[in-house]
Amino acid sequence: MSRTAIAASGPGSEPGRAMLPSWLKASGRILASFAVTLLGLAALTFFIGRLLPLDPVVAVLGDNVTQEAYQAMYRQLGLDQPLYIQFGRYIWGVLHLDFGMALTTGKPVMADIARVFPATIELASVAIVIGTSLGIPLGVLSAMYRGSWLDQIVRVVGLIGYSAPNFWLGLMGLVLFYATLGWVGGPGRIDFTYEFDLEPVTGFLLIDSALAGNWEMFGNAVSHIILPASILAFSSLAYISRMTRSFMMEQLSQEYVVTARVKGLSWARTVWGHAFRNIAVQVVTVVALSYAFLLEGAVLTETVFAWPGFGRYLTNALLAGDMNAVVGCTLLVGVIFVTLNLLCDLLYRVFDPRTR
Amino acid sequence: MTNRNDVTGTKRRSAGRRLLSAAAVAALCVGAGTAFAATPKNALVMAWNVDAISTFDPAQVGEVVTNEILQNTCDTLVDFDPADERKVVPSFAERWDVSPDRKEITFHLHKGAKFPSGNPVTAEDVAWSLHRVVKLNFGNAATLTEFGFTKDNVEQNIVAGDNTVTFKLDKPYPTTLVLQSIGANRVSMVMDKKTLMANEQGGDLGNKYLATRTACVGPYKLTRWNAGESIVLEANDGYWGKAPALKRILIRHVAEPGTQRLLLSQGDVDVARDLTPEDLKDLEGSKDVSIVKVLRPQLFYWGFNVADGPFSKEKVRLAMRYLIDYEGLGKTVMTYLGVPRASFAQLGAVGALDAKEGQPFKLDLDKAKQLLAEAGYPNGFEASVLFGTLPHANPIAQSVQQNAAKVGVKLSLERMANAQLFSKVRGREYQSAMLAWQTGVPDAHGNASRLVFNPDNRPEAKQTQYPSWRSAYQDLALNKQIDEALLEADPAKRDALYATIQKEVMAKGPMAFMFQMNSVAGVRKDLKSWTWNGFRTYYELATK
Repeated sequence: MSRTAIAASGPGSEPGRAMLPSWLKASGRILASFAVTLLGLAALTFFIGRLLPLDPVVAVLGDNVTQEAYQAMYRQLGLDQPLYIQFGRYIWGVLHLDFGMALTTGKPVMADIARVFPATIELASVAIVIGTSLGIPLGVLSAMYRGSWLDQIVRVVGLIGYSAPNFWLGLMGLVLFYATLGWVGGPGRIDFTYEFDLEPVTGFLLIDSALAGNWEMFGNAVSHIILPASILAFSSLAYISRMTRSFMMEQLSQEYVVTARVKGLSWARTVWGHAFRNIAVQVVTVVALSYAFLLEGAVLTETVFAWPGFGRYLTNALLAGDMNAVVGCTLLVGVIFVTLNLLCDLLYRVFDPRTR
Repeated sequence: MTNRNDVTGTKRRSAGRRLLSAAAVAALCVGAGTAFAATPKNALVMAWNVDAISTFDPAQVGEVVTNEILQNTCDTLVDFDPADERKVVPSFAERWDVSPDRKEITFHLHKGAKFPSGNPVTAEDVAWSLHRVVKLNFGNAATLTEFGFTKDNVEQNIVAGDNTVTFKLDKPYPTTLVLQSIGANRVSMVMDKKTLMANEQGGDLGNKYLATRTACVGPYKLTRWNAGESIVLEANDGYWGKAPALKRILIRHVAEPGTQRLLLSQGDVDVARDLTPEDLKDLEGSKDVSIVKVLRPQLFYWGFNVADGPFSKEKVRLAMRYLIDYEGLGKTVMTYLGVPRASFAQLGAVGALDAKEGQPFKLDLDKAKQLLAEAGYPNGFEASVLFGTLPHANPIAQSVQQNAAKVGVKLSLERMANAQLFSKVRGREYQSAMLAWQTGVPDAHGNASRLVFNPDNRPEAKQTQYPSWRSAYQDLALNKQIDEALLEADPAKRDALYATIQKEVMAKGPMAFMFQMNSVAGVRKDLKSWTWNGFRTYYELATK
């Protein structure tokens, strides 16, 4: 009896907790999980970085240096301190949004990330728009017409998207569309002719050129982004279309679909109006994951297209042993994933009333 | 419900139409953007892997890309003659006087020059620039300390006068060598003392300030550097010397050679700096692109740690030289990239053996086997070879590994990041390693003083700036010969001394030198007067 009473009264009836509104508790939980995730990530990356046989002093001073200068820089970088002190100092800096100086560029890591990340966001955003706008319809149609020639084509396209390396696709795309047909701009975000005529406002060239009303430059930026974004979109498209197809096939075997058809609802309306609503939550997760992977930076695509983005920056930092930059970038990737997960949670509430 | 769906459907259709319209506009924009023009008439546009840049401080810079940028933005006292790198020509010093005992050199400086900041360039700036290199004590300080300048004496021995700067040397070094080593080197780049001291942080003499910018006088000035993205140099309007023909130098960071080739072929860049041998071969017959190459003072070598083990024996080290297929590799992997060279003195340097004498080895497995037997290893041995990310290192290492296996020597290859390789070699934590070394002096002394001379071989001495120390190699007789050659006044006698040293080192030294590297580039034919030698690229001489 008493147990039932407690259960009925719920946790809100406990002393102290009654003062906290549910949204505040939820926010607190989210923030706590956010902080723990990032702290764990920072610790893991920091300590792995210290275990790697890469010498940050050589990264700064080069190979041809006296031992005296080497030792001086070793101390200057704080490498003579115990690891826990180095980590403590690092976390203290991070709490003040100071990720330290990037050894390879001589600039603050935050400034470097602020410079390279817009290029990646722009590329990833265009890619995810292309990948989603093609991937979802193709996945749904493939499920609707299972076994048809369309389904076969989508599966083959998906297979190629999964298996063909972006590096190779990028080079082939450049040879065909840039060097042979001349349909698109070459490597880089924009032609050199325009690059220095624009003062960056947001760092997103498409937006900045549009804000400046410079449509010629906007066109040039589009011509440069369209190919790398399409290459990246191809992999996303493959993933999104295959997952959508799989989710949709499961829905189409449900009884409510048969009922709707028996009641005279058209095939298209049954699929888009009913079945698709039920897979929307899963599709959102798939799209968000794809976007997160793209935001991490597609190193090979960025390399082939001379795209000055986040992935290439992180890889260079890693190879040079620039651990300040590596840990800073890793934390950012963590923030991206956690944020997108949160956004997914919010979208679940929009798409699925049961989760409200 | 049905109505709502209908409405939604209508909205979807109209949204679809709008999307189609937007796509059409985008396609038009793409079309507009593809009217690819040639590079600007007044600019030199280069595709280059410029990832290595981390500072523009001449006291600290140690890699070739930044060095080239600095050489075109910061004047040195004297310069390498574009036509003959062994000669020096006036630069910021109009002329120089040498005392009869060769221990004092007085440089007479240009008058009326100004830094881009507007500050006048004074003799004090010139002297201070040299002092700060020694005081900061980065790797480049050795360029000055090798000639007797120390933290304690540099202010007394490099002295500013009335528009002059005087070097007071501790020994009668060959004047040409001093001019090449210091006067034409980045250590004598004329820095803007007033600006740097105004931005000094914690006694760093402006080192942090120079991490992202320059503060010096030269034909160009650095106006933009976005790490891993692009570099822009613009002609320095108030430059005291002749104004460059091309007003802008635009360098785009392009890491992938295939991408560089596409940009070059399309005419979107004038010069591509990192093409592979395959790309270079394909472009060889192009009507739009020329392949240009010049020997540079960089040697690719197989270095041995002689502290213990098989490599401590001279005959084993000599045997290893007979396992290198100089000819075969030179015609395949190293086409365009370099030429076989077994001497430590690079071709073109004063005192260097000629191409034939400086490369007496060929692949000879029988000879190698015989030498191994004489050294006490008739059945070979096992050892490791470390190498970094240089693209030619892997095929060369594999070729050597295959040849070594034929005489019983089992070599295990280990590829790693360059930073890791340097750490291991600097710490003597290796058996053998393949890597490159570059000197800044067109004189045999440049490499003799580092690759052979070793002032103190004790592990605790940590003479890590000497590759000879990293090899745990010290030959006191060779040290003495190098000192003698350095101070020999008669050029013919000096050449003879270096010839002897080179032959000795080829027979027993701790490094099997394999190739001298080229600088190679693809250059569009509408770019005229691309001028370079092993030590400098002269942007200011390029025209269109």
